[in-house]
Amino acid sequence: MSLLIQHDSDAAALRRGTRRFLFIAALATLALIVAIVVRQGMFRQVTSYSFVTDSAQDIAKGQAVRIAGFRVGAVSDVSLKDDGQVVVIMEIDADNMRFVTHDARVELRKEGLVGSPTLEIVPGPDKTRLAAAQARLVFSRADGLSALANQVRDEFVPILRDIKLITGALADPQKGLPGTLAQVRASSEALNALLANGSRQVDGIGRAATKVLGKAEEDLSQLGSTLAAANQRLPALIDRTQQVVDHVEKITAEAETSLPPTLRDGSAVTADVREIVSGAKQAWPIRNLVDAPAPARLKMDSDLRGEAGRAR
Amino acid sequence: MRVNPLFIAALLLAGCAGSPNSANAPANPPRLKAALEAESDGARRYGRGDYAAAARRFDEAARIHASIDDTTGAARNRLHLARSELAQGRAEAALLTLERASGDAGTALDALLLKAQAQLALDRHPAAQQSLAAAHGQCAGACPQAASLHLLQARTALAAKRAPDALAQAEAALKLLQDQDEAAETGNAWRLIAAARLAAGDAVNALPAARAALEIDRRLALPEKIARDWLLIGDIRSGVGAGDTAAAYRRALEVANAAGLDDLARLAKAALAVHDAVPQRGTP
Repeated sequence: MSLLIQHDSDAAALRRGTRRFLFIAALATLALIVAIVVRQGMFRQVTSYSFVTDSAQDIAKGQAVRIAGFRVGAVSDVSLKDDGQVVVIMEIDADNMRFVTHDARVELRKEGLVGSPTLEIVPGPDKTRLAAAQARLVFSRADGLSALANQVRDEFVPILRDIKLITGALADPQKGLPGTLAQVRASSEALNALLANGSRQVDGIGRAATKVLGKAEEDLSQLGSTLAAANQRLPALIDRTQQVVDHVEKITAEAETSLPPTLRDGSAVTADVREIVSGAKQAWPIRNLVDAPAPARLKMDSDLRGEAGRAR
Repeated sequence: MRVNPLFIAALLLAGCAGSPNSANAPANPPRLKAALEAESDGARRYGRGDYAAAARRFDEAARIHASIDDTTGAARNRLHLARSELAQGRAEAALLTLERASGDAGTALDALLLKAQAQLALDRHPAAQQSLAAAHGQCAGACPQAASLHLLQARTALAAKRAPDALAQAEAALKLLQDQDEAAETGNAWRLIAAARLAAGDAVNALPAARAALEIDRRLALPEKIARDWLLIGDIRSGVGAGDTAAAYRRALEVANAAGLDDLARLAKAALAVHDAVPQRGTP
């Protein structure tokens, strides 16, 4: 009896545990579903914009829409209209509507030259007005690799055409490179003849110039010796000239200050010349040659003017 | 003019023979040497007859001597200066100069003789006699200036119309001047003898004396004295009645004009005018 009772209590406990486990699992599953829904933006507020294009190439549903490189939404629908145009609808988070101006445009760009394409909303210059919800924006495609190839082709075709013309002209036997080379050859022959003639003339001139230069060298040698001699004598001459100039200045100064004008011309100059001579006499070694004169003795003359001979 | 290099070399060698800074070599101080050179230069100019320049140099020498307290040198150069001034006819200036030169015993006699000359030139005969008397007192016996003293006394006597006395003094001087190298004084003596003889009425014997004086003055090349000699000869010829009196006066005029002696030229012209105005004996 007691064994049955014990079995019943265990079974009851197992049932309670099972119920608790099922309840918790249900709660976890519900929370997971809520999280997935929130994550998927089921409860997010969005705004739709659209644009029209000729082709749906590189555009797909769920494609990211970016503003300044940040993902702000995605393509929600791509549909073909009756007229063959493609309508593309984008959903943008309401929080990012402030970046979409009324003149904004949508560009299809590629990440790098060959990366995946993305849609980029580029705001317009007028920041004062925002685009209304459901507004249709202008669409453009950025140049891809094929566009670049076409552009290069367009640039290269004229160049290749010009190269063809140039090569054709160069190949012309009369006006082209062969004719020009023939003319150059003829000109070079004439130039050689001219140079040969000039060389002969220069050779003649050179011999004459050599003679002239030889003579000039002799003259310069003589001039050099003359200048050397003059250089030896010039300092003494300059010194003497300077002394004379100094004395002349002294004479002039003294004449201006001390002598009456009537005596300036003669007596002052004479006095200073005498002073010069006296100074020279006192200079060695001339002073050894010149003795001081003895006191002068004038001859007696009791009738200096001859007045005694005749009554005046 | 080319200078012989050997001469220059010899000059330099001679100059180098002495030490540049020889302290033992006897040498005059620079200022004394300058004074002596000025005096020597003045003497040379005086000898050439450039009395004005000579006077400047003597004056310079006298000032330099005075600046070094050399009274003898200063007095000597003042006498030279007075003589130069007398030669220029500036007797008053000469007297002033002589007053500054007095006081030196060595030159006192010369100063008195020059003073007498200046006084005679100014016709101050009594003063000249006093000066000569004082000079005679200092010239005891035979002093070197005795001949000059006699000549000045002769001039004084002649000015006082004492012709015989003048002739005696002049002849005494001439006697003292014999064999002496005093040509100027000898000429002065002959001139005084001629003038004294003329004044005494002995014109005939006066003419050789005047010609003797003229010869000496010509040899000394003294224009003023030559001109005066010709005037004296003219006077003598006029006194003896010779026919070539005017020629003598004209020679005097020519010499005076050539030498720029205006006073003498005027005297010669006046003599010519008097001679032409007076009827000549024996001439048309």
